[in-house]
Amino acid sequence: MRGKVSRRTIFAFIGPAVIGLAMVGIAPLLYALWTSLHFFNLTKLKKVKFIGFENYWTVLTDEVFWQAMGRTMFLLGTALPLQLALGLGIALVLHQPGLTLIKTLARLSLVLPMATTYAVVGLLGQVMFNQKFGVVNQLMGGANINWIGDPENAFVMIVFWDVWQWTPFVALVLLAGLTMVPGEIEEAARLETTSKWTVLRYVQLPFLIPGLVAVLILRTADTLKLFDMVFTLTRGGPGSSTEFISLMIQRVGFRGFDQGLASAQAIILLIITIILAQIYIRVFYKEVN
Amino acid sequence: MNFRKLMASTAMAATMATTAVADGHGWSLKEAAAPYAGTTVDVVFLLRPGYEAIEAMLPAFEEETGIKINIIKHPYENALGEQVRDFVAGGDLDIALIDLVWIGNFAENDWILPLADVQAKFPDAVDPDLDIDDFFPLVLNAFGGWNETLYGLPFDNYSGLMFYNSCMLKEAGFDGPPETWQQLKDEYGPALTKDGKYAFALQSKRNETQSADSFARVLWPFGGSFLNDEFKSNLLSEESQAGLQFRQDLMQYMPDGIVAYDHAETVNGFAQGDIAMITEWSAFYSTVVSPETSTVADCVEIAPEPMGPAGRKPALGGFSLAVAAQADDAEQAAAYLFIQWATSKANAREYLERGGVPARQSVYVEDGLEDFKFVPALVESWQDGVPEFRPRFAEWPEITEIVQEWGTKMMLGEVTTVEGAEEIGTRMEAVLEEAGYYSGEKPMAQ
Repeated sequence: MRGKVSRRTIFAFIGPAVIGLAMVGIAPLLYALWTSLHFFNLTKLKKVKFIGFENYWTVLTDEVFWQAMGRTMFLLGTALPLQLALGLGIALVLHQPGLTLIKTLARLSLVLPMATTYAVVGLLGQVMFNQKFGVVNQLMGGANINWIGDPENAFVMIVFWDVWQWTPFVALVLLAGLTMVPGEIEEAARLETTSKWTVLRYVQLPFLIPGLVAVLILRTADTLKLFDMVFTLTRGGPGSSTEFISLMIQRVGFRGFDQGLASAQAIILLIITIILAQIYIRVFYKEVN
Repeated sequence: MNFRKLMASTAMAATMATTAVADGHGWSLKEAAAPYAGTTVDVVFLLRPGYEAIEAMLPAFEEETGIKINIIKHPYENALGEQVRDFVAGGDLDIALIDLVWIGNFAENDWILPLADVQAKFPDAVDPDLDIDDFFPLVLNAFGGWNETLYGLPFDNYSGLMFYNSCMLKEAGFDGPPETWQQLKDEYGPALTKDGKYAFALQSKRNETQSADSFARVLWPFGGSFLNDEFKSNLLSEESQAGLQFRQDLMQYMPDGIVAYDHAETVNGFAQGDIAMITEWSAFYSTVVSPETSTVADCVEIAPEPMGPAGRKPALGGFSLAVAAQADDAEQAAAYLFIQWATSKANAREYLERGGVPARQSVYVEDGLEDFKFVPALVESWQDGVPEFRPRFAEWPEITEIVQEWGTKMMLGEVTTVEGAEEIGTRMEAVLEEAGYYSGEKPMAQ
């Protein structure tokens, strides 16, 4: 079969996609790489000049950059385990036999948080967590908690919204993994033991690993890029308490207009994301036979 | 800024206007706009009352001129970025909306045209009744002028005013608002902060609000400033530190989380009767006196901002409109006609009545302005204002980010006022050094 398709035909089919991807994905990356090596401020375009790795050095020695990176990693370390634990719990409940209609409705409702625009989540948060009029304080018996104006509470609020929005995604991915477990193996295991933990650990978990690795990679990348929701909710404040790395890059690039420095920050972030993804794959990923 | 040279540039613009009369030609907007009928002018507007006012008046202009004004609305926070990207990319904007702190940036990048150049290019478009001298000089200078040249005409004009709830003050035993900041803290603060109500709110969110409405507001009345005569940081001076420390002390009479308060939260808190006094822009007057948006409309009174040891020095802010260099000839002429019309003496009264704040002196001496309680305080403020309340040079967007970050940290107690001032000073001077102010490459104009 392979010999019958000409090389030209293969290129004709694949070429447009490759060119499209290159234009959408690779070209901006190359442009960012170029600007990162230049003094490139949008309001000082007459002064654009090649400065080598000076922007990278500035970023790597900038305490504020690493503080923002640390804050982002702390968010990842707080929100992701919660999402995994809750997502797994939901997936296991939905994997139980019976109650088909309710489970279908539950699956559908799980899509809603994911389908909500990030920026809208932030705006909802502003209203719901308002100290005086917000529904959250009302539900807490008229508590007077200052959510948005307190550094610690603002961080908790961001974790809450991230968990609310992305736990369903984790649940759906893990549920898909659970449906991959051959029924007869699961049934045989349940005949062997009554321990749900043993079934989960030795029968279901191997089938969940690919999904878990995908979740880890996607959620890590998403958290490192988290912008819209935080921007509309706290704008990085109060102080710098919710200034995550993507907000900092936006601030430098689009409010300070230093595109060169922002590009260097973005490229360093990209490198960190790739390294983390590689670590996840090497440490966790195992082919399921 | 050399004020005399700016006035010379202004005089040139005025001369252009009067030439039309000297020529003996009768001038009408309709005839002047006839060659440009059908032209579309793109302009950025903010989501604020002054813009809604002019938008409501717009059909009359479009009908008379045949010029279409295409308004692109942005919140303040996005307006600079959107315009910078448009000008860098050679986009569609024909008019620049310029906050007073953006003018150095826009002018130095040649994104806007000097007013005199536009008038010389399109002499038939110049209204002989433009009367540039009728603008408040401080406002015209600060909002529209840069480096001895006039670029824009003041359009959406603010001065910091004290809005106070006279009912709450009366109940607490005060006949009027505090005359000084010290009085506000020592007498009004303790008396009015109780039962979930607060004496005062100083909007301090980490954006331009932190720099302009909060940080700068406590510098100037106490004799401080961002920069000294050598363009070095003046934030560690005794006066600047007194102002910044005063803000820390005053926070006990403000709502919790004041660092998350932007204009909306502050104005709403006042309008709902939770806060007795705020220092806000004149532009929010219509919001706090409208029964639709304020439960305390009947109690609202206006005064100039309190005085500090160095005098009143109220906050100064606002926007001018200037013709964009990137527009083609027809668009430039049409843009000029719109700017001239929107800021004209003839339309100032209607603009005021619809919720705008014109910068025309003549309108404020007209009869029947009793309903506009802010007028006396506004006029007084525009006599005492400081044009460089926030430096207007091209580096401000970078410096304001630094001020926002460390100013908020000071308020949260994460650093002391001295530590914060040191950080801001070091970083601010690095930006100015890079820009070439210390090497003499750029004149020390702010």
